[in-house]
Amino acid sequence: MGKPDIGVRNLLVKLLSYGILVFFVLLCLYFDYVTRGLFLSGSNIVNILQQTAINTIIAVGMTFVIISGGIDLSVGSILSLAGVLSTMSLLQVFSRMHQGPAVTAWPLVVAVLVAGMVSMAVGAAAGAFNGFCITRLRVTPFIATLAMMGSARGLSMVFTDAVPISPLPTAFTNVVGGPSILRAIPPLVPLAILVFVVGYVVLTQTDFGRRVYAIGGNQEAARLSGVNVAHTKLGVYTIAGLLAGLSGLMFAARVGAGDPKSGQMFEMDAIAAVVLGGTSLMGGTGSVAGTLLGSLVIGVLAVGLDITDVSTYWQMVIKGGVILLAVVLDQLKVRLGSVGL
Amino acid sequence: MKKIAAVLAAVAVAATLSSCAKRATSTGPVVGVTLLTKAHPFYQQMEKAMKEEAAARNMTLRIQSAETQLGTQNSQVDGFITQKVAAIVICPVDSASIVGAIRRANDAKIPVFTADIAAKGGDVVCHIASDNVAGGRLAGEHMVKLLKGKGEIVVIDYPTVTSVQDRTKGFMEAVGKSQIKVVGRPNGDADRAKSMAAMDNMLQAHPGIKGVFAINDNTALGVLASLSHAKRTDIVVVGYDGDPEAREAILAGSPLKADAVQYPREIGKTTIEMVSRHLSGEKVPANKPVEVGIIDKESLEAEKKQ
Repeated sequence: MGKPDIGVRNLLVKLLSYGILVFFVLLCLYFDYVTRGLFLSGSNIVNILQQTAINTIIAVGMTFVIISGGIDLSVGSILSLAGVLSTMSLLQVFSRMHQGPAVTAWPLVVAVLVAGMVSMAVGAAAGAFNGFCITRLRVTPFIATLAMMGSARGLSMVFTDAVPISPLPTAFTNVVGGPSILRAIPPLVPLAILVFVVGYVVLTQTDFGRRVYAIGGNQEAARLSGVNVAHTKLGVYTIAGLLAGLSGLMFAARVGAGDPKSGQMFEMDAIAAVVLGGTSLMGGTGSVAGTLLGSLVIGVLAVGLDITDVSTYWQMVIKGGVILLAVVLDQLKVRLGSVGL
Repeated sequence: MKKIAAVLAAVAVAATLSSCAKRATSTGPVVGVTLLTKAHPFYQQMEKAMKEEAAARNMTLRIQSAETQLGTQNSQVDGFITQKVAAIVICPVDSASIVGAIRRANDAKIPVFTADIAAKGGDVVCHIASDNVAGGRLAGEHMVKLLKGKGEIVVIDYPTVTSVQDRTKGFMEAVGKSQIKVVGRPNGDADRAKSMAAMDNMLQAHPGIKGVFAINDNTALGVLASLSHAKRTDIVVVGYDGDPEAREAILAGSPLKADAVQYPREIGKTTIEMVSRHLSGEKVPANKPVEVGIIDKESLEAEKKQ
């Protein structure tokens, strides 16, 4: 076999670089065709976005971690711990301020602000602890975050006795969890877009972002060229924890309870989104834009397979197959020599 | 391990002897019971009913709790074997891993009964548990009543669990006799958030549905969250379990209209009855399904007034 023509090869690489995008578009068109236009209707697009939002927020943090050459298995447990603690504080503040019959917006606003801070602080603290163990105590990321996965889940059980924190104030679940923007869109969706944009800017436009790529590519080379590896890694895990924590409160608002059992296996969905988006588990390459597409593919698959009434067992087979296919295509792209999305 | 078991058994025997010495009035057979846990209301009610029934039948119960620890349950069974109890009742911590302990009791010729959760092997005289098929049927009949026998509905399923398979089997049987059509059966993993997402998807795919069967209360609460976000008050939900949060939702007039419920007291009472009948030489069935019931707003309000 002779070498493929250089033009054909370039075209192939281009196509593969946009492989996930092509796949995403084809998937949407397929589901839309099968459901006769229902899939890409306005209300279902909102449905897909709101089901994708939590995974997107977590996966943006996971992208930082994986590009830096690490992994974070604790995000699902951090989500539940932050969800539990923030809803507990929300109820405390709300019940103290909301006395008497006069209903004003203030107690809710204050309670949501307090709960938001608690959720992010809990998440960031847990993430920073991960970073501390990895950089100072020299524990590998897999083990450090595996330990946090167990401990954070255990703590949320301890604080709640395994009983969900509920009912939450309906004003809270309606405004924060429900379709309160233009009576159609839950706040979760613009929040996910905001997180995506900030993540994109930080990773591509700041020194910190460049350091994340540098230590993921070659940690020793990065250290020798003056990058503070420990600081950067601490930042990376703190970001992942903070975003998981914020998701905890938003998740509780959607479900209507601070559930200590929530978030199980979320780390796997986040890792899948990152990998589908073309970020290498070896570190050093990848993008937040790819992650967004990966997360959307997972969301579109979940909604599409439900709507077209595919059985649970086949759904598991198909979802597994898609992840494998994406990674195989990605390997092909690397072998043909491309620079990424 | 054996040594530890032996020591534990010795302690158990000593404890038994001393307690026997204190109240040697009871002359009936001694039955060892190892519960899954004493921390759950379900088991607390079951235990209470067991004690009452045993007292009525002049039997002595030695009730212990494994607190979900397989090792503890094993040594409890070994303790009962050393005590030469007349029969052993087990609510297994794990269906597969309890088989060894059951075989040891079989070797010692002590009859074994299982309650609530079945074992996957060993010789068990009788297994006593809720009839989930009947529970599903009750839920289905209630759905037929609520929808006056027609309309499209969905089932938020969790098809990988046997007890849930029984529930949906009974439900489908009941609605199959009416004009009601099940148009979707997505998986909700018996989890609130997953069930909410599944319900969101069903509202997109089948906006005209009139009812939902949720295979347990976590599922039902997820469905309620979805319906509330979508402001759909025209859809009725029937759940399963009767957890406190679901009871409140039914009382508050939410779309959750009814729940199929298990009766732990009935399971406890029937278990002791089966043990007693077996010990007096009667033949008992290998499986004894216990009736389940249904609660709705009316029944809960009546219960509250009592």
